Amino acid sequence: MTIGLRLFISSAVFAIGIAVAYWLVAHEITGTFLLGFMAFALSFVAGYMIVAEREADLWADRPDAKPADAAGELVGTYSIRSPLPFGTALAMTCIGLGIAISPTLVALGVIALLSLGVGFILQSR
Amino acid sequence: MHAQTWPETATTQASVLASDWALFTYAGLAVAALVWGLILFAILRWRRRPGGEAGALPPQFRTNNPLEIAWTVAPLLIVCALFVYTYRAEATVEALPPTADATVDVTAYRWGWTFAYAGGPRVDGTAAAPPQLVLPLNETTRLRLTSRDVTHSFWVPDFLFKKDAIPGQVNVFDLRPQRAGTFIGRCAQFCGLDHALMTFSVRVVPAPEYARWARGGAR
Amino acid sequence: MSAASAPVAAAASPRNDLLSWLTTTDHKRIGILYLVASLAYFAVAGALALAIRTQLAHPAGTFVGSHEYAQLFTLHGTGMIFLFVAPFAFGLANFLVPLQIGAPDMAFPRLNATSFWLFLFGGMVVFAGTATAEGGAAAGWTSYAPLSEIPVSSGLGQDLWIVGVLLVSVATILTAINVVTTVFIYRAPGMTMWRLPIFTWEMVATSLLVFMAFPTLAADLLLLFVDRHLGGHAFDPARGGSAILYQHLFWFFGHPEVYVMILPYFGVISEIVPVFSRKPIFGYTGLVLAAFAIAGLSMGVWAHHMFTTGAVNNPFFSFVSFLIAVPTGVKFFNWIGTMWRGSLTFPTPMLFAVGFLLNFLLGGVTGVMVASPPIDFHAHDSYFVVAHMHYVLGGGSLFAIFAALFFWWPKMFGYRLREGLGTWCFWLLFVGFNVTFFPMHFMGIDGMARRVYTYADAGALPLLNLIATAGSYLMLAGVLVFAWNVLLSALRHEPAGDDPWQANSLEWATSSPPPEHNFERLPPIRSERPVFDARHPELPTKR
Repeated sequence: MTIGLRLFISSAVFAIGIAVAYWLVAHEITGTFLLGFMAFALSFVAGYMIVAEREADLWADRPDAKPADAAGELVGTYSIRSPLPFGTALAMTCIGLGIAISPTLVALGVIALLSLGVGFILQSR
Repeated sequence: MHAQTWPETATTQASVLASDWALFTYAGLAVAALVWGLILFAILRWRRRPGGEAGALPPQFRTNNPLEIAWTVAPLLIVCALFVYTYRAEATVEALPPTADATVDVTAYRWGWTFAYAGGPRVDGTAAAPPQLVLPLNETTRLRLTSRDVTHSFWVPDFLFKKDAIPGQVNVFDLRPQRAGTFIGRCAQFCGLDHALMTFSVRVVPAPEYARWARGGAR
Repeated sequence: MSAASAPVAAAASPRNDLLSWLTTTDHKRIGILYLVASLAYFAVAGALALAIRTQLAHPAGTFVGSHEYAQLFTLHGTGMIFLFVAPFAFGLANFLVPLQIGAPDMAFPRLNATSFWLFLFGGMVVFAGTATAEGGAAAGWTSYAPLSEIPVSSGLGQDLWIVGVLLVSVATILTAINVVTTVFIYRAPGMTMWRLPIFTWEMVATSLLVFMAFPTLAADLLLLFVDRHLGGHAFDPARGGSAILYQHLFWFFGHPEVYVMILPYFGVISEIVPVFSRKPIFGYTGLVLAAFAIAGLSMGVWAHHMFTTGAVNNPFFSFVSFLIAVPTGVKFFNWIGTMWRGSLTFPTPMLFAVGFLLNFLLGGVTGVMVASPPIDFHAHDSYFVVAHMHYVLGGGSLFAIFAALFFWWPKMFGYRLREGLGTWCFWLLFVGFNVTFFPMHFMGIDGMARRVYTYADAGALPLLNLIATAGSYLMLAGVLVFAWNVLLSALRHEPAGDDPWQANSLEWATSSPPPEHNFERLPPIRSERPVFDARHPELPTKR
């Protein structure tokens, strides 16, 4: 079990504990819901990680690994430069501004965002 | 009318609140003296003098389990003790016995206060003409506090006490003044343009004088 | 992305034109962009603070009127919290975390860049409100309902504030996702979690807090927007809503947010103190556990901001708030233990680190005080709380920010900032900060409320306020000295080399600045200070 998973499991256990303690002490619904939902969210991540890391064996987690051990392994690819982030942020800002000042701007922003989203997927291939 | 520099005990509740202030101030000063002392001692004692050996490394220790456990458990016990005192102090201050000697409905609004005395006058005020709350000395007045619009806060610094005035909610608390005099009151929750001007005063008078005043009708 | 150990052909110097900066996905460049943008927002929010202090220098000040003043403190708080202290930390994390763990970049480089631009644009949207007819947001950085509802705050500025803060919230959440994924998945061989530098650990804890807190803020602000423009009445008691609900949702975010603003800086201090004590960090495990204890507990204390509402269970929140003092104390004792019997030197980063320790301690002590409801009944919404918050955020985070700037500047830009000017900068800020904020404890005890543009011309208040204003101008001098230092050092400098401070963690194992792929070669990783271990092969490694 990786340290990361242990972290999420202990966080989820703590969250459940404090949610229960809060309800018993305060009987206040808003706070109990917030703490309880937090516990649920952490449990969700922990549950996912339990399944996802069934076969995890990172070189990073071996205490006597040497940097050369992972040489040549291709972990993923990424683009060194991309205009998509700037454009995406601009599109999201347009949507936000549009919500405050103009529905047309929202529409433009959504179209831009969808196009850029496609761009992100294409750029990863 | 003026604010004090150090806590005064204008109400019986304020006496309890002032004792809490005193406990935490002394405890805080002790902690600060200890920690600042350790930091300054370390700086003075182990600073590398010019011309000192730049090469030799100091002892490279990383842990001391007994010490680390001690400095976790000791503060834990201290804060638990502080909590017990806090809990009792708060319970005393916020206690609401079955009856009170007088009752006043306090309503906050943008930007003034209204004091409506049960069986007595109703006093309105504005930022330009702040109202005065009259309280009987050595008797308990129950205040029922709410707001007509946004959240405000009823604060009498000399009483070391405030309570929020929240629309849709009535906050109830007791005040038992033990010193005569006139004290300033302020709004302490930002509420817009005249928030800083939304003051009131509290005048504490002997009970017979209060009774005469209350019978006198609206001001 | 492979973490190779064989030397790679040296890449040509990266392009430095505007387009390359607009399209970069390199975590180091994005980190620098964050630092520049957040420091720009700091300058703006700081100028607003000077305007506030100028107004308050005299009881009946006429520098600004009530509505302008409300915008000043709203945008000062919003700018410092959302646009400076937290983004600076994430910018620093952007630059450092991949380097400290031996990775070539963050897990999601394009998402990383998106976060930065979203933060930059979100901040601009917040400030854009000041150009509207009714001015910028003026309901405080906390924007309590019903004050922030229509018709009380009907200006577009308030809506732009909501939108801008939402955009920044999304940016922050995306960065937190990047940080946690990067640390979990992209560590170099041998870099086990228990060998991570403390700064990286603190960023993991900070990111967890962001996951749990920011969505709640987003929900709260969306509800506020629906109330304002889409017929909602979530916070309107006259129509079945609850004013207190706003506060619960806000502070469920708001309290973890203040720990988002301090945990990274605990990490900065934990990196700097060992280097200038020439000892390993003391109590590594305790520091890590304390970080998560603080993070976890901080999710359960939100209503200590609501002690005077009469609507929450004060003892529960008081008790949990007191508990947070314990892991915080553990950290303090660990830092002192690091200095203990060390060989201490005080270049500028260490000066600021010591300043942090001295200042933050007082902020912590007053924090325990206001965690006691009987004290908070007087202190809440007074200048006592203003003093507390500025001691932890200003005396704490701000000092750690300067420590970080001086410490990692050579790694980022290849040369050190000047020491003489750095010393002046520190003393001006340290004295100026304390002269500004120490008197505020007494202003609050004396009965001065927060968020007021005028106050009673009585007792010690006028004198205390005048002293505080003088201190704020000293702080300005310190910041100007810093700017002068940056300018002079940029124009004339010597190369700093890979490891100018004789430091500990992996970022010091590569050139200054690092190549685009970060590392030509990695040293073996057997403890939390692999560069130190490589410099001292004669010593046993412990982790």
